[in-house]
Amino acid sequence: MDTKAFQSLDCLPGTLREAVINLLYRLADDELVIGHRNSEWTGHAPILEADIAFSSMAQDEMGHAQAYYQMLHQLGEADPDTLAFGRKPREFRCAALVCLPKGDWAFSVLRQFLYDAAETVRLTAFVESTLVPLAQLATKLRGEEKYHLMHGRSWVLKLGVGTEESRGRMQAALDVAYSCALGLFEPTEFDEPLAQAGIAPRESELRRQWESAVAPVLADAGLHVSEAAKPVYGGRVGRHPEALKQLLDQLQLVYNIDPTAKW
Amino acid sequence: MTDTQWKVFEVFHQQARGEPHVHVGSIHAPDAEMALILAKEQYSRRQACVNLWVVPAEAILATAYENDDIFERATDKSYRESWGYKTPKTITTSDEATKRRSDEG
Repeated sequence: MDTKAFQSLDCLPGTLREAVINLLYRLADDELVIGHRNSEWTGHAPILEADIAFSSMAQDEMGHAQAYYQMLHQLGEADPDTLAFGRKPREFRCAALVCLPKGDWAFSVLRQFLYDAAETVRLTAFVESTLVPLAQLATKLRGEEKYHLMHGRSWVLKLGVGTEESRGRMQAALDVAYSCALGLFEPTEFDEPLAQAGIAPRESELRRQWESAVAPVLADAGLHVSEAAKPVYGGRVGRHPEALKQLLDQLQLVYNIDPTAKW
Repeated sequence: MTDTQWKVFEVFHQQARGEPHVHVGSIHAPDAEMALILAKEQYSRRQACVNLWVVPAEAILATAYENDDIFERATDKSYRESWGYKTPKTITTSDEATKRRSDEG
């Protein structure tokens, strides 16, 4: 690679530093919010085995969020707890997909598949990142994401061709989730500098890879992507569905009783 | 009332390559692929794991407890029991064996 490598976060010049901070907020906030959403199934999933697996993956996503928040802290942002619990909805940079309520089991497993397919595409690219700490973290997180994708894919295939009811629920879920999933790849002003520095691919490129990864699975599951599906943008600049506010009210409730409390 | 539970699969867990797969419990799943996926979180989240097996419980043929007298010995056959033989916990390498001999000698 002819672009120069950044051995540590301190090596980043001012302009790229801002771009990396924005990238890390997008990654961390997506993980935190979907982790919380999926944890809402704890104790409520259709069967015990599914409950344990889904809850465990929700914990994984929270762990990934924490790792990204920790990198942000090293770049001079607040500590991970303050970032997760102390920010207002408009300060979050997550996509609409992760904000939506958990819906039925079909919606949640379909969303988990679409989301983790995007995560896999990103992490695979980040392994080659010129930002060495990001490449190292991506290498570490990939195993868990690989499992998440196996899990989501398996459910999508099973329910897509299951019964008339399961197929109907999956198609209804896809009709809502697909547009929001495209919003994971909302372009930002930082795409170009990040791509030119070899830190992260352009969102348009990631979207292309994601579409070719999910299309065959959706086709095998007998599900159809509406041609009218248009990306839902806004999340990357702090415009979110109302559902995010309700989620954060719950997530931040205890912390906000006394933000200075020591645990 | 019909049984709405999924099929039962028995789960075998391997802690490290070369170690035996050990039966750790069972899991409900609609098929073997999903059984492996669900067993991964159920049985490997609290201990090291490199490999899992799942086997449909119905594929296992078992002896009946009412026939457990087939395992009884009419005469003393304690000489057959493996505790009668001393086996090293690990097989020592030739280097270690040489070192020990020179230490002892």
